[in-house]
Amino acid sequence: MSEQKFYFDHGASAPRLDEVAEAMAPWQHGVVGNPSGMHSASRDARRAIEDARDIVANFVGQPSHEVIFTGGGTESCHLAISGVVREHRKHHEISDIVISPTEHHAVLNTALALADEFDDVRVRFLDVDDLGIITTESLWENLGPSTAIVSVMTVNNETGVYQPVPVVGTVTAAGVPDGGISHTDAVAAAPWLYLPALTESIDMISIAAHKLGGPVNSGALVLRRDIKLDPVSVGGGQERGHRGGTVDVAAAVGLAAACRVVDRERMEVNERVTALRTRLEAALRYVPGVAITATEETRVPGCTHLTVEGLASEELLFLLDNAGIAASAGASCSSGASVMSHVLEAMKMPEDKARGALRFTMGRETTKEDVDQLIAVFADVVYRLRGEK
Amino acid sequence: MRVLVAMSGGVDSSVAAALLKESGHDVVGATLKLWGGASDSGCCSVSDVDDARRVAHSLDIDHHIFNYTSEFEAAVVKPFVDDHAAGLTPNPCIECNRVIKFDLLFERAERLGFDAVATGHHALVELWNGRPTLTRSVDPLKDQSYVLGYIQGPILQRLVLPIGGMNKEEVREHAERLDLRTWNKPDSQDVCFIEASRGREAFLGQRIELTSAEVFDRVTQEVVGRVPAAQLVTLGQRRGIAPGFDGERRFVASVDLENRRVEVDRIEAIMVSALALRPDSLTFAYDEIPNGTRVMVQWSAHGRPVSATLETSDAPHLILDEPARPVSAGQSVVFYDAETGRHVLGAAQVGR
Repeated sequence: MSEQKFYFDHGASAPRLDEVAEAMAPWQHGVVGNPSGMHSASRDARRAIEDARDIVANFVGQPSHEVIFTGGGTESCHLAISGVVREHRKHHEISDIVISPTEHHAVLNTALALADEFDDVRVRFLDVDDLGIITTESLWENLGPSTAIVSVMTVNNETGVYQPVPVVGTVTAAGVPDGGISHTDAVAAAPWLYLPALTESIDMISIAAHKLGGPVNSGALVLRRDIKLDPVSVGGGQERGHRGGTVDVAAAVGLAAACRVVDRERMEVNERVTALRTRLEAALRYVPGVAITATEETRVPGCTHLTVEGLASEELLFLLDNAGIAASAGASCSSGASVMSHVLEAMKMPEDKARGALRFTMGRETTKEDVDQLIAVFADVVYRLRGEK
Repeated sequence: MRVLVAMSGGVDSSVAAALLKESGHDVVGATLKLWGGASDSGCCSVSDVDDARRVAHSLDIDHHIFNYTSEFEAAVVKPFVDDHAAGLTPNPCIECNRVIKFDLLFERAERLGFDAVATGHHALVELWNGRPTLTRSVDPLKDQSYVLGYIQGPILQRLVLPIGGMNKEEVREHAERLDLRTWNKPDSQDVCFIEASRGREAFLGQRIELTSAEVFDRVTQEVVGRVPAAQLVTLGQRRGIAPGFDGERRFVASVDLENRRVEVDRIEAIMVSALALRPDSLTFAYDEIPNGTRVMVQWSAHGRPVSATLETSDAPHLILDEPARPVSAGQSVVFYDAETGRHVLGAAQVGR
């Protein structure tokens, strides 16, 4: 393990909570019953899963919805979109997937892959403004009798900006003749926002444990009970036929434990991190050439996305890393190389500006000392790369 | 010394990194992401990046990936395509070295606090006449000094080439001893952005219009056939050209894209004694080579070097000691010292 001292990449993965490790421990060694069995070990496992399910249901807060445990945020989004579209195709000639162009690849690439695979599946992109927020007109324009699903993320993982998710829910219900299905990727939103209020009109909600301090490869798709999905993994029909495969008790328990902590500490963390962000951004603004992308308050507290004129993210991150600071540029490809962000592209940010994009994300563990260190190092790094002293 | 090693995922750069680490230097590895498209050349695909990363792990050095895809597209791929359309024969590897690997990368390395940059090229930097000079490797079959021919003094001062003193077998043995996973990985062939399975014609065909041309035999003064893609034909080429009616081989004497005509002749008739050089391409490692200097020259990656005299007037050219097959415009000629033929003095592109 390297000695990264100042962690500003909570948005990529949140530090694992002790409470989560404690909750998971009993389910990670010794006999752990297969929840599908008939004996007491199985019943114990089953019970732990159902308790976890209740906690997650409460966290997302839609009583008419059911909770499916999945292997993470990407799987939840994939199951939602693929599940609905494949089912829709059985009864319709055309299946439209309506999404914002700023969606995470878990939604975007799933939609594109389906359109690629089937001639009768189309992807329709909503218009967004220069902050990446969808317009309501564009939503109305793109809905119709062929709409299979509308998917708009609650919070953008790169910029931290909110989408008008309640509007998405109500307009989808009204704008599609037999009632369309709406989905929201709430992965980046879950650490910060009170989901029950925001997702009342949304049919399907995806969350991921590791953004909440839980384990990786653990997530949930929370969906209205009457929605029929064509499952990705058929198997033994677990999770009410939605997701075949033995349910990972530890993963479910870990997700639930993380949700409980976030629920409990939400207000305090929001307040404290907002103050830290204000402190950070006030200082960063003094560095010449720094532009903070979403200056308004319509974003989550923990996300500071900025661009540094004339410099390359790769070089900034390299020197920050040398100084013990972990951050990201917000977009990377599977090889690990940094790539131009499709989110910034959709926001029509000029390419050379986007080249110098950085994202600092904070969380419940971030301290004032962390922020002060980042401020000091950041200025130093920028001057150094500019060849100034 | 803090050194940045460019690691392609191949065995040469793996061993270069290992040697520097063994010598006690502060080594960091970086793989350049240059081409985002399909690739089967064995260089720089996602699996090659994995190889480089895993080798770095086993050597206990940090590994980074630097994304230069847009610069590569602008400085290497686009000119490659445009040059072919204009009837030139470019060498994209030389351009990549000149603009990206030995320019942009060096600038970045300096900004990031490195004292030097190292690569796994088969070549050496030797002190010659008191200055660090690009020199042929000890393995004549693998020598890559040619593709590095345009590198100049300021870069040579900060360049380290660790494996130039070893032949290929020794490099692989070293890798095997260290248990590096790339020890028996085959060498990459041809251009990194052209799939070997599809070739240049397929690549270019997707980007420019490839035009056929009639083939005119100067000996019989008759049109004898056609070539499908005149943009791919080079001077002196024999491949794809049928022998003449007299049974003797024919070679390309001229290519006229505008009039869609390729002319062929017997070998004796096409030999040239001089090569025109493009004035703005003339590059010297250090000082200008004086007019009339004798040099050894090479105009392909593994071609046989020949003796010549360099004339550096307004219309610079090389006067060859012996007649040679013509060289297409756009190809690069690298000049080596006449005494040993091992030290690179400079380079230039062949003009029309």
